[in-house]
Amino acid sequence: MTDTIHKPAVDYRRRQKLARISRNLAILIGALVVAIYVLAPVAWLVSSSFQTEAEIVSVPPHWIPEDPTLRNFEAIFTAGNEEEITYENRSGQDPASGGYIPSTAKNLLPAMWNSTVVATLVVILNLLVGVPAAYALAKIRFMGRDASIYFILMTRVIPDIALVVPFFLVIKNLGMLDSIWSLVLTYLAVTVPFTVFILVQYFEGLPDELDKAARVDGCSRIQALVRVFLPLSLPSLVAVVLFAFLTSWNEFLLALMFTQTSASQTLPIVLAAFTSDFTISFSFINAAGVLAIVPPIIVAVIFERYIVSGLTAGAVKG
Amino acid sequence: MSRPFNSHMRRRDFLRTSAAAGTMALAAPRLALAQGASDLTMHTWSAAVDTVQSHLNAFTASSGINVNYGNSPWAQYREGMVTKFVGGAPLDMMWVSDAWLPEWVEAGWIAPVDGFKNLTQYNSEAEEFCNDSMTYNGRQYGLTYYTDYMAFLYDEEKVKAAGFDAPPTTWDEVVEQSLVMKEKGISDYPMMLAMAQESWLIEFMSTLVFSHGGRFIDENGMSSMTSEKDGAMEALQWVVDAVSKHGIVSPACVETGELSGLKAFASGNHAFAMVAKYRLRMLNDPEQSQVAGNVQQTLMPKGGNGAHNTVGWMRFHGMSSQAAADPIRAEATAKLIEWFGGKSDGAYKFQKLLFLDIGAGFGVKPLFDDPEIKAAYNAYGDVEVIKAQQSLAMQKDVVTPWFGEWNETNGTAWQSAILGNTDVASAIAKSSDAWDELKEDY
Repeated sequence: MTDTIHKPAVDYRRRQKLARISRNLAILIGALVVAIYVLAPVAWLVSSSFQTEAEIVSVPPHWIPEDPTLRNFEAIFTAGNEEEITYENRSGQDPASGGYIPSTAKNLLPAMWNSTVVATLVVILNLLVGVPAAYALAKIRFMGRDASIYFILMTRVIPDIALVVPFFLVIKNLGMLDSIWSLVLTYLAVTVPFTVFILVQYFEGLPDELDKAARVDGCSRIQALVRVFLPLSLPSLVAVVLFAFLTSWNEFLLALMFTQTSASQTLPIVLAAFTSDFTISFSFINAAGVLAIVPPIIVAVIFERYIVSGLTAGAVKG
Repeated sequence: MSRPFNSHMRRRDFLRTSAAAGTMALAAPRLALAQGASDLTMHTWSAAVDTVQSHLNAFTASSGINVNYGNSPWAQYREGMVTKFVGGAPLDMMWVSDAWLPEWVEAGWIAPVDGFKNLTQYNSEAEEFCNDSMTYNGRQYGLTYYTDYMAFLYDEEKVKAAGFDAPPTTWDEVVEQSLVMKEKGISDYPMMLAMAQESWLIEFMSTLVFSHGGRFIDENGMSSMTSEKDGAMEALQWVVDAVSKHGIVSPACVETGELSGLKAFASGNHAFAMVAKYRLRMLNDPEQSQVAGNVQQTLMPKGGNGAHNTVGWMRFHGMSSQAAADPIRAEATAKLIEWFGGKSDGAYKFQKLLFLDIGAGFGVKPLFDDPEIKAAYNAYGDVEVIKAQQSLAMQKDVVTPWFGEWNETNGTAWQSAILGNTDVASAIAKSSDAWDELKEDY
């Protein structure tokens, strides 16, 4: 009798332990599969940037370069842009040769600078425009407030491709073609509605009493916003900063339409231009791609601890 | 505490300042445009940027005309240009693909250049298919930037190993030599054909049709594909037989794109290939090809009614309608087009530079006699064969405003026949009907 009572209890504990181990193992394997799926392209990007063209197309692929080369990176960092191009000093590279470096390699670093300036300006202007707008919509009651919020949100429903020609006409009439200001202006139109929407949701979640208390203590609206609401809104501000920065950094379509020289071209355009109608240097493009992902990674690392809470900010209305 | 935005005066000041700033922003561009009014604007895709810039700087030094040079990626070039045309962006000269000519002319974006004698004087020295490819409704729209054609390449070592002294000259001989190679185990699929649905497909199909002595359409623009003798039937029948009857072309050819086919040929899998002529240099480069040194070009094999014809394609320097509307601008733009597409300082300098720098083919015959060009070609090919084949190149006859729509139907029909899902006559009839219907609609 004792045996019959005791035995099932032991089995139950073993089964529980086995189930826990199996579950953890399944999670671990799943996580590994997802990690490999996500990281493999990045690993290949980095690995192939150190390979020659012939090694990149070898079968099976070499994940670790057999004959690593820094040739692509050297070409990017040593390319000069000062001298006037003549018949004598032109690049004259043959794309059919294995070691092809596009003559536009020298535009890569200026393009990175343009991308950085555009993305930074868009982030700053986004905060300057979006934060007060969101505060006003969240905390000041006025006629048409809800309609304003929905109108702002509605502008994000229109696909970018539909906006290209109207934007182009505005930019052309403002004389901003081939200027980074054309990008700053249009990226603001794309990012500010999202910024306002996220921040409105977050500010609405903060008690009105805080606002009233600040006002009773003599704060102006601006002071209440800066001294009370902003310190409490850090996670959502980080989400907004990340969104604005990454959107501006990666944007292609509008930059393709509004820029045409290295004075204003951003990184995605210069990267795409490395593919010609004759050939593609995979090795060089991958080296350029490695450089292109560095700034977004730095931004993500800086704001890492706010990212998850920031991305869910405003998702649940309190 | 101060209340900076609580005063009516300050709010008004703010609005006043904003309005002033807006007005200035709107006025500024007109000043900027006025200042740069005499400059020309040239837009190209991002190829040979340094070569273009060096030639452009020489143009400015020679003519005193400043040119704003912009470029954008090849893959998105057409879309970008359409936006620029629609948006009225300043634009005088641009590169145009022969495939876009009907669309851009019909939309009124580019203007004919045949009114400029300094440009048409070069027609007599240009390849006929180049002149044809720049002509639409009887008007010429530019001067050649670069040109190339579909070439027939063979692996000399494999041909000799199969016991043949010379490469095939007819499509029947291609079958004959391929069957021997299969029998001797030299290659499973000796002939490489890339028939995947991609932009290259029409070039491959046109080559097969032209080399069999056929055409897709007649002189009135109506379909002639179903004609037994000079249509597309014979060409498609050869491909179908090569895949299903003789087994000398892989059935996977319908999924093989030009680049994949090229890599397969470079790895030594095939003995014969139909690829763009400029690929010959890469195929004979030991750094990029396993069969380097063995790859030779011969004239495109011919069918029963054929004469070694192939298809040629080209890109050209065009003039915008915007530039053509202003006589002074048009004249300056014509000078710029001549500098690039014609002679500069008495020689076809730009086409020669492009060939020497990036291997781009040229469209003017006298350059074949240039010693530097001969030496460059002979380093990896036979300049006489290259020249002879170029003279037999023909313009694609299906480039029309409805080409894109028809191309889908045509490609699918050919692929169905190759896979044995339909017979050759039905596939060609379907393609032919689609052509005539679209022509009616447009």
